[in-house]
Amino acid sequence: MPMTEALLSSVEQLFSLATLVSMMIGVVAGVIAAAIPGFTVTMAIVLTLPVTFTMPPLQGVATMLAVYVGGCSGGLISAALLGIPGTPSSVATTFDAYPMARKGEPGRALGLGIWASFFGALVSAVVLVVAAPPLALIAVKLGPWEYFSLILFAVTVVASLVGDSILKGLMMSLLGLFIATVGQDPMMGVPRFTFGIDVLAAGFPFLVVLIGIFAVSQLAGEVENPTALQRGGALIEGQIRFQPFVVMREVLSRPVNLLRSSLVGVIIGAVPGAGGSIANLIAYDQAKRASRTPERFGTGIADGVVASESGNSATAGGGLIPMIALGIPGSAVDAVLMAALMVQGISVGPRLIMDNADLAYGMFLAMFLAAGMVLVFCLFSMRWFLKITAIPKSIIVPVVLVCCAVGALALNNRITDLYLLVGIGLVGYVLAKLDYPLAPLVLGVILGPIAETNLRRALMADEHWTLFFTRPISAGLLILAVLSVAFTVRRVIKQRAAARS
Amino acid sequence: MNHAVEATSRSEREVDHARGKALANTLFNVALAALFSALFVQAGELPSSMWEPLGAGSFPRLVLGALVVFNLALIVQSIGLYRRAPQQRSVGFARWCHERRLAFGTLFAFAIYALTMPWIGFMLASLAFLLTVQWLLGARHGRRLVVAIVVAIVFSVGLYALFSHVFLISLPKGRLW
Repeated sequence: MPMTEALLSSVEQLFSLATLVSMMIGVVAGVIAAAIPGFTVTMAIVLTLPVTFTMPPLQGVATMLAVYVGGCSGGLISAALLGIPGTPSSVATTFDAYPMARKGEPGRALGLGIWASFFGALVSAVVLVVAAPPLALIAVKLGPWEYFSLILFAVTVVASLVGDSILKGLMMSLLGLFIATVGQDPMMGVPRFTFGIDVLAAGFPFLVVLIGIFAVSQLAGEVENPTALQRGGALIEGQIRFQPFVVMREVLSRPVNLLRSSLVGVIIGAVPGAGGSIANLIAYDQAKRASRTPERFGTGIADGVVASESGNSATAGGGLIPMIALGIPGSAVDAVLMAALMVQGISVGPRLIMDNADLAYGMFLAMFLAAGMVLVFCLFSMRWFLKITAIPKSIIVPVVLVCCAVGALALNNRITDLYLLVGIGLVGYVLAKLDYPLAPLVLGVILGPIAETNLRRALMADEHWTLFFTRPISAGLLILAVLSVAFTVRRVIKQRAAARS
Repeated sequence: MNHAVEATSRSEREVDHARGKALANTLFNVALAALFSALFVQAGELPSSMWEPLGAGSFPRLVLGALVVFNLALIVQSIGLYRRAPQQRSVGFARWCHERRLAFGTLFAFAIYALTMPWIGFMLASLAFLLTVQWLLGARHGRRLVVAIVVAIVFSVGLYALFSHVFLISLPKGRLW
């Protein structure tokens, strides 16, 4: 399909009433979900997935992107008004937005965050459009050797970035790779590790694993502390005043900070495993280092809010770059998006831009559209934000658990999936309590079949396994994988030495 | 003064957990190592292929082998942590569970919810689950109880209606009726 035709086709699909309405609902749901402490963006996306099964592919993905982009902004609300990050991505936002709100300017804090989020998302969408197609063109030329090494690299990066023990991180990645081997073998169709159990014949359903790991087990963690459940009641009293356009000028008068923080977000989003939860802190740190008045950071200044919020919103577009160009998800959220496309029968990889150009362009456009929708929705609804953050966990947790059950059932309408969900939720809770990071597990599950297929293809093409080390790109990726582990080990040893002295 | 007391009791709790966690991690990895070793042996029986050097069992064996190595490394690490953690402050598994009673209660209710759903149907099971867990988490009197009842009705009957009419996905109706 020529580019203009694909572009027109994606515009036509995207600007249909059904898609616009479902995207708008997605934006609202994403913002609200992220505003509620204890309800993460990942949970919101995982639970949106089953709803999109009956939609056409682009509408489904656009809706999920809308939830994602909305969620990237929503964490701001509880961060600014309660001083509690609604999601891990808005930790740095609490540093300046909350003091600003306490000083009597909650409207300004929210406005700054909303505009910074909007521009961050915009910058990341531009980078995505520019970077993904050429990267895909290179990726198509990669052989199975390079692909296998790339996945190995991705797995080690994830394991070294998440959690505090690289041993545990790598073990979780491997566990994910193993879970993916249950069911039919990808090349010959031989059943593996099914033990004659019907439910396992087609392997562990990915969606059920996702919901169990990211929603059920985390929700259980939310209700551990009986005293925290009684919280609620806002800390900011009185009328919130908004001057959206004055604040917009304030954000735009910091172009260097805005652009730097957004690019930090894009780059960190594109690295597998690192996402908004890291980007906001690094963007904030970079802004502070570059500032002429670093001592004022943390007292409620605009630069801090702008850096954190544009940084975390920009990860949305960044994470899509490796997913669209290479078929390797940049984060758990991208893994869910990839699963959504796979359920629709679309294979995600470098050929996506060529084979399903309208879909790829549609996703680019949906990013822009969602950023605009979030902006409009937030500017009009800021007045009610305080009420959202006050919803107690005693309501959120059971309601979201019921949504999890619906999500697990919606896939195949099998009650056994629900039993599996309970089991996985319990295992996930125990793993989390023993300090095992869960994101590497999920990425392992989605990367497992790709890794195995490429490994076997490579050895089918040529029996010499030394090719993994002699082909330059493959060797380079393997060296990077070893380096990422080595650096983490060195960091841990240094930290231990520092702690001792 | 109060703050100081709170701070020490919190750090004590963490120390306690460090020791218990190390023990739990050791046992957990021993169990996993045994499981993965057994699966490793079982994977050897998977058929190989005429067309490729690696059969159906090779990749899983590679992964399982690596997993066992990591389990062993984690066992060594956990035993080291267990030895280093101070002994006298140990409080035991029962208290750890008691502190998390609400989390386990919620998960237990969720398990019951899943088990009863095929019999009594999505709507009724959800209604009961929502009421129970909200009550468990503190909505017991007055306004909060009323809100809990409203929420329970909206998210059981409402979700069922939404999925059957809008998304055309039918949730379990219940075998008993």
